[in-house]
Amino acid sequence: MTGDLLQGLLQAIQPASLAATGVGCLLGIVAGMIPGMTISAAMIIVLPLTFVLDPNVSIGLFLGLYAGGMLGGSFSAILLNIPGTPSSAATALDGYPLVARGQAGRALGMAVSASFCGGLFSALCLFLIAPRLADLALQFRSADLFSLVFLGLTIICSFASRSWIKGLLSAVIGLAIVTVGQDPVMGTARFTFRDPNLLSGVHFLTALIGLFAIPQLIENLHGNSPGGAIGLGVPGRPGSPDSPGSPGGRNGTAPAAGAIELRKLLPAFADLRRIRLPVGIGSAVGTFLGILPGAGGPIAAFISYDYAKKATGRGDRFGQGAVEGVAAPEAANNAVTGGALIPMMTLGIPGDPVTAILIGALLAHGLAPGPLLFVERADFAYGLMFSFFWANVFNLLIALAGLRLLVKVVAAPRTLLMPAVAILCVVGAWSLRNSIFDVYVMFGFGLLGLAMKWLDMPVVPLLLALVLGRQLEENLRIALTGSQGDITMFFTSPFSALFLGLSVVSVVWSVVGARRQRAP
Amino acid sequence: MSGGHRNLAAGAVLLAVGIGYGLATALLPDRTLPDTPGPAFFPWLIAIGLIGLSAALTVRGLTAIRQRDGDVAGYRLPRRGWLALVGFAAYLLLLPYAGFVLASVPFCGGLVALYGERRPVIVLAAAILIPLMLFVVFSTGFQVLLPRGAWL
Repeated sequence: MTGDLLQGLLQAIQPASLAATGVGCLLGIVAGMIPGMTISAAMIIVLPLTFVLDPNVSIGLFLGLYAGGMLGGSFSAILLNIPGTPSSAATALDGYPLVARGQAGRALGMAVSASFCGGLFSALCLFLIAPRLADLALQFRSADLFSLVFLGLTIICSFASRSWIKGLLSAVIGLAIVTVGQDPVMGTARFTFRDPNLLSGVHFLTALIGLFAIPQLIENLHGNSPGGAIGLGVPGRPGSPDSPGSPGGRNGTAPAAGAIELRKLLPAFADLRRIRLPVGIGSAVGTFLGILPGAGGPIAAFISYDYAKKATGRGDRFGQGAVEGVAAPEAANNAVTGGALIPMMTLGIPGDPVTAILIGALLAHGLAPGPLLFVERADFAYGLMFSFFWANVFNLLIALAGLRLLVKVVAAPRTLLMPAVAILCVVGAWSLRNSIFDVYVMFGFGLLGLAMKWLDMPVVPLLLALVLGRQLEENLRIALTGSQGDITMFFTSPFSALFLGLSVVSVVWSVVGARRQRAP
Repeated sequence: MSGGHRNLAAGAVLLAVGIGYGLATALLPDRTLPDTPGPAFFPWLIAIGLIGLSAALTVRGLTAIRQRDGDVAGYRLPRRGWLALVGFAAYLLLLPYAGFVLASVPFCGGLVALYGERRPVIVLAAAILIPLMLFVVFSTGFQVLLPRGAWL
């Protein structure tokens, strides 16, 4: 293990890996800051680049994007009151009032410091938990693996709270798509219509590019004005979210970045003392909820905000510009990233769309996340953990050193950015197999994504089904073949019974949560 | 179109897809060992799920229409969205024949204009420079063999 650990460290500190991690952080922060640009979309844009890079380098780029995107989202939440990512919505509650009071630098400094602490805490948990969980997972048999994948699929419930029928339909459509191509046990061609392009099935990443990027491109056509700059301002100024004629602050005049006070980015000692407890709460809650499939950053951020409000004894100041209200959700949403990497690396189960893309990217490099990753490529697994650590360090450095320049990026003209993204989608789909067929499939998935939007059907269940469907079928069939059709082994195997029990808990939790949300 | 009509339309389409999927599953070769699931086992489960859920969505749509429920404004594709999609489709059809750069230039220019740029010089410059820059980065920098066109 020590040898692999050292090897991993060496891989992560190679100049190319470090540079890729830094660039990833920079791109992630920029993408996170641009409202309407999700971390998933940013990852898809850089996807074609990673095919030609070494896996250690490309994973550094992705991890930088993941961690940087979370931080960047909070910048637009604080400065514009528009969360760049859903996970930073809670940050706006106190961040934006601080900006309104002329303390933008203080709010951003708090966000950067808390994000760094949350990220580091989750990196530490990743180091401590992941190898042990992988050791345990090596004992799993097919029945256990089926139940585990089934547990992963119950994430769907948390995305289907608005309509169970539509959420489940989305997942079933994904499972149907997965069955195209050779079946995973006997290699029989299914639903290929004698087209050789379909023999290897639909490439997960092709589907992903279409599903996420094309609806995003169309969405960005809504209400754009000449120039298409995304406004940035302070209350009452043109381009600010609350100024007339500037819906959401997206389409206002040129940014007033210079008008925002950014001198005091380094947090004062008194503020650091004040945020100790909220950061601790956020880090612990974020890491724990990150490990749980489906919980994700937004829930972690709001729960941490609520806990911090109760625990600090300054609850009356929350919502009016309390630094604790910025620190707790920021620590939480960055801690989620490390937490989500734990089940992704050790069990091959994605906790959110971003880790699903990471799995796809690793698979494109011939690396299958799961317990065997720690046996066959332990050096890479440790390298990934070290890269995640570096990503958090780079986040801090880049944010503190370049924030003045970075806030200007929020004003990047969409008129030039979006066409480049559209062409990059084509390049990404083409690069997978140098096949125009994949590009057409990508476009087809884009239309499917738009149709689902029209129907208000969630896309994430389909995505999860695409990632987990093949494993689900393979393990189910192997388990049933081994038991000659006896399904009781799913309940008699301790691990399998545990996972099925957790699946029930996950579903019940989602149902109760959805009812609470609907309750007046 | 109301939420109920949308659900009804989508339910009906998905029901037809589910039935088609079930029929295609029935045609799959059933070569397997006794008492073990074959290649059609999993698709059958999916077909049943797809048909059942689509039927439920159809019923929900019908119920909503009868009760005049769900008449809320839903997502509508803007006119520029339709134009962008048609342009995208034309671009993809042109791509294998014209090659990456030639096909991307009009597509990129069209998109820049659709996103709101009105200055002809900027549209023209972006239409040429963005595809050219991406072509150089990917084909020279990353050795990705982008479509070169049937004429080469």
